[in-house]
Amino acid sequence: MFQRPLRQGAALFMAAFLGTAAFGHSPLEATTPANGATIAELPETLLLDFKGNIRLTRLTLTHSSDATVDLNLDAFSSFLSEFAVPLEGKGPGIYEFAWRGLGDDGHPLNGTFSFTVE
Amino acid sequence: MPDIWDIAAITAKFGLYLGVLTASGTVFAAAMFQLKRYRMIAVIHAVIGIVAAVVAFMLGGAMLTGDASGMTDPTMLALLWSTPVGTALAYRMAGLGLLIIGLMFRTGGIWIACVGGLLALMSFVQVGHVPGRDDVLLSAALILHLGAVAIWVGILTPLGRLARTPDAMVAAASLGHKFGQFAAVAVPLLIVAGVLMTYRLVGSVSAMVSTDYGQALILKIVIVGGLLALAALNKLRFIPEMMAHREAGAANLSRSIRLEWGLVVMVFLTTAVLTSTLTLPT
Repeated sequence: MFQRPLRQGAALFMAAFLGTAAFGHSPLEATTPANGATIAELPETLLLDFKGNIRLTRLTLTHSSDATVDLNLDAFSSFLSEFAVPLEGKGPGIYEFAWRGLGDDGHPLNGTFSFTVE
Repeated sequence: MPDIWDIAAITAKFGLYLGVLTASGTVFAAAMFQLKRYRMIAVIHAVIGIVAAVVAFMLGGAMLTGDASGMTDPTMLALLWSTPVGTALAYRMAGLGLLIIGLMFRTGGIWIACVGGLLALMSFVQVGHVPGRDDVLLSAALILHLGAVAIWVGILTPLGRLARTPDAMVAAASLGHKFGQFAAVAVPLLIVAGVLMTYRLVGSVSAMVSTDYGQALILKIVIVGGLLALAALNKLRFIPEMMAHREAGAANLSRSIRLEWGLVVMVFLTTAVLTSTLTLPT
């Protein structure tokens, strides 16, 4: 249906566009331990504090060079703004977290944060 | 860089806009301008719309788990269904389903199809940047915007086909002329609705030029400008040529409509990027 220049134009336009796109929403207000912090000892629970109510659907932890593990979220089956997730100590190193959730307006949300245990 | 999920989300949104707007617009235009031979275009696009709506919904599930398992995870899909995303899917399925059913009836079915088309369009004020503002005027502007765009897109294929049909030049010119009269009212309304939505969503000139969202919107406006220029050319040059029984007018109109389709595709693509991966300036 389309002439060739038009099709090429569309491809070029798509490529130019995707290069500049910014992705995702992150309404995570604060975490304890804080993002980027260096702490001496790992607390027993990780606190996440969101701006609005969200349903947390996934939280993963990657510790230094270990494989990524899913943290259990079975205790949180409703829309909340504060989450206290039990943590298991894995020793010193960098703790990197990635979370995903759903805002009560239907917006998918996600983000990452990390801290270091000495 | 966008990953495979972003590209999938953009593709699904593109299919959704193409399907819903073309299907609805075709039946609206058929009712307004007494078109013949429009059923197949409407049904094909309604099916595209339904498939894209379901895929977009399932991709929402993948967003919640971060991998493909979310697309079929009953917990994730049930969770999504309970939010406005689920309501929007219900409007799309019911609307496009009704549209297809309406087209099966020879008499009176067109009105059932139009109600279906309207329901499908209303899905867009259930979820997204505009309904998120909880602003009735803004939602009304969006519905008006979508309705006018749908009719514009809906007339393209039937008009182009008529322009290419031998011995139908006068009928094509007459349809083009009637559509031109509609556009003379609809285009100013589209511009007012567009300015209002831009103002409410983007908020400032600096946000318009300095954010990805604003820049994408500028790109969309530039393409729409091209569309308006082509429409003006059709209305002021090619349709009068056809009315004066000059064959070249019909060939030019047909070419112009093909180009319009290309621009419409780019507008839908830009909008898909705007609504799925770019965030509003805050």
